[in-house]
Amino acid sequence: MKPLTSETIEALAAAQGVPLAPGRAERLAPGVNALNVADPLRDKLPFDIDPTSYVLARERGK
Amino acid sequence: MSEPATLSLAEARVRRERRELSATELLQSCRQRIERWQPRLNAFVSTEVRFAGTDRGALAGIPLAHKDMFYRAGRVSNCGSKIRKGWVAPLTAAVLERLDAAGAADIGTLNMAEFAYGPTGHNEHWGDCCNPWKPECITGGSSSGSGAAVAARLVFGALGSDTGGSVRVPAAACGVTGLKTTWGRVSRHGAMPLSHSLDTIGPLARSAEDCALIFQAIAGHDVRDPLTSRAPVEVDLGRRALKVAVSSGWIERNAHPEVAAAVLAAARFFNAREVVPPEFELLSAHCLTVMQAEASAQHAQWMRSCSQDYSSAVRVRLEAGYAIPAAQYLEVLRLRTMWLERFTATTLAQADLYLCPAVPVPIPTREETGPRGGPEMPKRLAEVTRLTRWVNYLGVPALVVPCGFDRRGLPIGLQLVARPFAEGALLAAGHRFQQETDWHRRAPPEFGDAA
Repeated sequence: MKPLTSETIEALAAAQGVPLAPGRAERLAPGVNALNVADPLRDKLPFDIDPTSYVLARERGK
Repeated sequence: MSEPATLSLAEARVRRERRELSATELLQSCRQRIERWQPRLNAFVSTEVRFAGTDRGALAGIPLAHKDMFYRAGRVSNCGSKIRKGWVAPLTAAVLERLDAAGAADIGTLNMAEFAYGPTGHNEHWGDCCNPWKPECITGGSSSGSGAAVAARLVFGALGSDTGGSVRVPAAACGVTGLKTTWGRVSRHGAMPLSHSLDTIGPLARSAEDCALIFQAIAGHDVRDPLTSRAPVEVDLGRRALKVAVSSGWIERNAHPEVAAAVLAAARFFNAREVVPPEFELLSAHCLTVMQAEASAQHAQWMRSCSQDYSSAVRVRLEAGYAIPAAQYLEVLRLRTMWLERFTATTLAQADLYLCPAVPVPIPTREETGPRGGPEMPKRLAEVTRLTRWVNYLGVPALVVPCGFDRRGLPIGLQLVARPFAEGALLAAGHRFQQETDWHRRAPPEFGDAA
């Protein structure tokens, strides 16, 4: 995924009713984009797994 | 006679059973120490006592205090914030109900990071909590008061919450024992939420044995928290033959030499075998994605109506969450299943526990990690939670025990990580380590037994 620009970050927050102070989006951008990491398992993720599958995995992993 | 408050919880329990100490004597001893040390530490927010006076239960008459985010009907729960200052809870947290049923005395509420959203113990609304080992150093957070109060022998144990390290970092920084429970092991009903996919509740106390007593009282299914498991709560501190895995090369390359030396000495104690390290950085990034998205959603209403009432540090963390795409957040939650399976099938394929530092660097000062920390501040903050967040993403339990001290006299914490619901194995390993070492018995200078 492409990194989010500070303009996009500002627009996303504003669209959710949270206006950012001037310059804040530039400050947030490196941290926000650092979370979008390459994950080697992403391409192997089975279609049928959803977030609730984790609860079963937790029980199986005992 | 020694000060009763300086006993371990398990020792106090035995003395109570033998009728050598009364609940009143334990309570008085704790209250005297709170009165003496609170001005120095700022660990307590309130000191109102709730105790039914029972002689029955596993924790009968044992004074405990808890992070100011566990609700008790009719009592103020400020959650470390300005926004909830003076808010009176309409219900009682499941964990407090269970501790009440076990006979414990609740002797107050403890300082914490604002809304449990900070790893250091700074709090601009209620004042920073100070580390009993060195007041200029952080206590760790967000369960800052829990770590400081237990280390200073003001209480026998305390509850904290752990979403990214908030039990384990204060345990490591304050030289006490802290248990991060499996996600879904302990009911969160009546506890302030931060990130529902990551939030857990666990004890901080002066030993694994003490943590086991509190853990057994609070764990188990609760219909009011439907994500709690029905898995049996089993603790056998005498359990032996636990296999431990470690990644010594990673520790030598990435941890501060003093931390590495103490942790690797503990690895030798456990005769740990080498394994490839988990993907700490990747899993930590996933943890932050989930935490920021969920915390920002949780706080959306206040962020729209009164964002000026948050500290700037917490407001910035919350603002970041609004930029995380929903699809990215949900994909990271889908990936969680696969990463948990990989951890149990590879890292723990031949072992029961994985060993690593709790905090890979010496405990920093409040100034270094606070608003005046300068350009290095974000890096220092990241170091503090570098090895705790990956555990929350996987949702597995972990125990932190003291395993040494750095040259400044600050504690070093060892972290053991296990499969889901294997808190019993963690506590048994911690107990065995503490039977052979005395790191956990050392009190901060001035805070030992004055008698």
